[in-house]
Amino acid sequence: MVDGSKTPEPLLVARGVTRMFGSAYALSDATIALYRHEICGLLGANGAGKSTLSRIICGHLAPTGGEILFRGAPLAIGSARDALRSGIALVAQETSLTPDMSVLENIFLPSYAMPGRLSYARLRRKAREILAELGHDHALPLDMEVRRLSAAQRQLVEIAKALALNADLVIFDEPTASLSPTEVDRLFDIMTKLRDNGKALAFVSHRLEEVFAITDRVTILREGKTVADGLPTAGLTQNDIIRHMVGRDIGSVFRKTAADRDMGERPVALEVTRLAAPPVVRDVSFSVRKGEILGLGGLVGAGRSESAEAIFGLRHRTGGRVVVGGKEISPRSPIAAIRAGMGMVAEDRRAQNIVPDMTVGENLFLAQMGKHRGFGRGHAARRRQAGDLMARLGLPADRMDANLLHFSGGMQQKVIIARWLLTEPEVLVLDEPTKGVDIGTRQTIYELLREVAERGVAVVVISSDFEELLGLCERIVVMSDGYTIADLPASQLNEESLTLFAAPRSSAERNAAFLRDLVSSYGGTAFWGLIDGDQFVCLAVAEDSRTAPMHLAAGHVYPVRETSMPAALQARAPGIVVEEDGRSTLLTRLSNRRGHDLGWIGLSLPPGASIPDAQALSARMATLFEIPKPEEIDA
Amino acid sequence: MNAPSRTLALPKIANTLEARMLGLAVVLAIILSFISPHFFTERNMFNILDQSVVLGIVAVGMTLVILTGGIDLSVGSVAGLTGIVLALFLKEFPIPVAIVLAIGCGGLIGLFSGVLIAVFGLAPFVVTLGVMAMGRSLAYIVSGQRSISGLPMGLQDIVYTTVLGIPTNVIFLLGLYVVTWAWLTYSKGGRTIYAVGSNIDAARAAGLNTLFYSIFPYVAAGALSATAMTFSLAQIMSADPIGGNQLELDAIAAVVIGGASLYGGRGSIFGTLMGVLIMVMIRNGLNLLGVSPFWQGTAIGAIIILALLAERLITWKSRRV
Repeated sequence: MVDGSKTPEPLLVARGVTRMFGSAYALSDATIALYRHEICGLLGANGAGKSTLSRIICGHLAPTGGEILFRGAPLAIGSARDALRSGIALVAQETSLTPDMSVLENIFLPSYAMPGRLSYARLRRKAREILAELGHDHALPLDMEVRRLSAAQRQLVEIAKALALNADLVIFDEPTASLSPTEVDRLFDIMTKLRDNGKALAFVSHRLEEVFAITDRVTILREGKTVADGLPTAGLTQNDIIRHMVGRDIGSVFRKTAADRDMGERPVALEVTRLAAPPVVRDVSFSVRKGEILGLGGLVGAGRSESAEAIFGLRHRTGGRVVVGGKEISPRSPIAAIRAGMGMVAEDRRAQNIVPDMTVGENLFLAQMGKHRGFGRGHAARRRQAGDLMARLGLPADRMDANLLHFSGGMQQKVIIARWLLTEPEVLVLDEPTKGVDIGTRQTIYELLREVAERGVAVVVISSDFEELLGLCERIVVMSDGYTIADLPASQLNEESLTLFAAPRSSAERNAAFLRDLVSSYGGTAFWGLIDGDQFVCLAVAEDSRTAPMHLAAGHVYPVRETSMPAALQARAPGIVVEEDGRSTLLTRLSNRRGHDLGWIGLSLPPGASIPDAQALSARMATLFEIPKPEEIDA
Repeated sequence: MNAPSRTLALPKIANTLEARMLGLAVVLAIILSFISPHFFTERNMFNILDQSVVLGIVAVGMTLVILTGGIDLSVGSVAGLTGIVLALFLKEFPIPVAIVLAIGCGGLIGLFSGVLIAVFGLAPFVVTLGVMAMGRSLAYIVSGQRSISGLPMGLQDIVYTTVLGIPTNVIFLLGLYVVTWAWLTYSKGGRTIYAVGSNIDAARAAGLNTLFYSIFPYVAAGALSATAMTFSLAQIMSADPIGGNQLELDAIAAVVIGGASLYGGRGSIFGTLMGVLIMVMIRNGLNLLGVSPFWQGTAIGAIIILALLAERLITWKSRRV
């Protein structure tokens, strides 16, 4: 919404902002302008200074130098409180919440800093209004403690908190990191609304698709300097942005694997059967062969990390078998899994992987020391491999004694992956290996994982980034609500089909009930699926026991020509299509409010069946069929 | 963030907190030797080492506990109780057996605290506070509220024997520090103690035995309290139920002066030795100067706080990130 008619004064301009930490520059020459009625993307690789700049604008940090004008006057911000008063709010990455306080108190925490009496009745009313505006009035109990909320719900509290301030300028710092695609849609609706109400918004994100979906302009930082100042998003391509971020062309991040390698012959390295670890992991089965990269996809909260933890002995399991290299293991602690040949890079780098008081070298050797039997540390035996690995990852050998926390997130992640490679695992599980890692390092990590797989290691990658799963993995297992629900070659999937497979099971079950309902009134076979080129991806199916079976099963992909309704699937048009053999099929297209394609719902009747009124039925299908709602995702 | 800029200005060794504490100890010794002519004499130097033995041994156990991020308030009362227990055992058993049994008792008390803390997840502060109260009360019960004397004369041998002119208790103390240093630096167990204090989840996920090494420091602290008390009994040849009173405070102070973080993961056994020597030197110097024992607490407290404040001011800039 770049308003061309009158060039408005920017609400906030920052020029030549610098900030030093110790003797290092976090920002050396940052410039940004934020306008009312606009969403400005703030981009940059890790360590480029996005968060530092956001925090300076919000008064959480004082700049070392530079000039910031807000509403045309110099911004004299001494504290975050001053910034709140002047109308600037930050939606942080769920870190600014007080976990022991209720949702209501968290939303109005900033007003505790204001003088005057608090009226809880008034605050409660206002909170309800804000949440209603967010479309979440029922999903977020105001009296619940924040610690009991899911990551997505906490993010909503963050957003509500910013809205409660009635700020003119709102900075969203990676707000989508823990949201599912549907919730992201919802958030974008809210952001659009705020923009149309005349607010200025800044949006910090790593995900380029989102930047294209929501921003009007982008400002790109590289090594603390602004390298692109407010370029209109419409005129940019993904490659333009990447070039600004890393300062060079890096080509496609995902080098497609040279032809599908034949995995059928290789021995199975890890086999998981009916794994259960309540309450989150209910029924998980999958296997991965030596040299294969398997993706474990799904939404946040689907139970992927918890499954990995249960396999690795970090979480108590109540049922199921785990076989590593032909031997069944039932570890109660990770050491048994490690000695059986497993390694796991946990999701949260800071909390689960890094030992902050140890040097780079000791962090690197940590798992090797755990695997080592004996009194000593077991470092000496692997010193040469460690040297080779660090050279391969581009870490200077003389920095082995430095503190790991002084390195970038990408380098930290490489060290943690190297920690496990040093134990020479047969199975390596990586939970969100590129979370918070910039695009250049991401590529190194992908290459490393491919290399590791080529050497015969079975690699399991858990990721919420579907693009990453599709680009990196040969096969993808999709989880939803603690169940594995699909196991397909990556080549047969795309982002839409993955999103739909990953939808929460509660709505999937309601949809199945609706399909059964259709079948009981009309007979035949009812299905929900995607038509992708000459493939039909079946998401759900219900069949009348009296009719001839169509041999469709949920979670499978079929070539269109081999189904019993090729003509209908090829026509891809609403209305009834009659096949050569007389079978008639009615298709209805589904889409959500933002126009995202949700596939097709259909009813297929055997030859000779009485055909219902197509229009009435279509209408019924489209309205009754439940589109996954965001509030159910983590319920 | 201090590493790059600071190492240029100073040799790396001077960059560590232990080195600065060594400097503080030396400066303190020089000042005291100017104030009192009796301070810097061979006799008083041995005195200081001798007076360091009890605190020094207890501080080793306390260092292990604090490195895991815990705290042990019970070491003083465990010392009191095991002192009484040792005196009673000495009347029944040969000396070596009695000593081993008393040290075993100390270890068992530590095991009790350690299991409650590591297995049941209770707060170290609260558990050891409870054990502290129980230990002192049991010391009075078991002793019948009297001090026990008439210990076998042979017990004195562990203090008054000398090797190359150095008393055995001092040799034991220094040996204990060397062994502990080597273990903490070069063994899997020692590194696990640091990893537990720094990030227990990461340590567990890397296959380290975090449960064992969360319990072990408390066992060591209990056993070392009993060991320290053995040397104390050998010197004064009687056991008093109030023995080891407030030893926990001196031990914690020594460990903290030595640079350990109460959050765990950071600290060194050499630093603790410096902390112990600083504590003992101050007390020794104040005694030589004839400062009233009632003022000594104020003086020691002030010096501890000043030392830590100075340390914080030196590293202030680098911490503000």
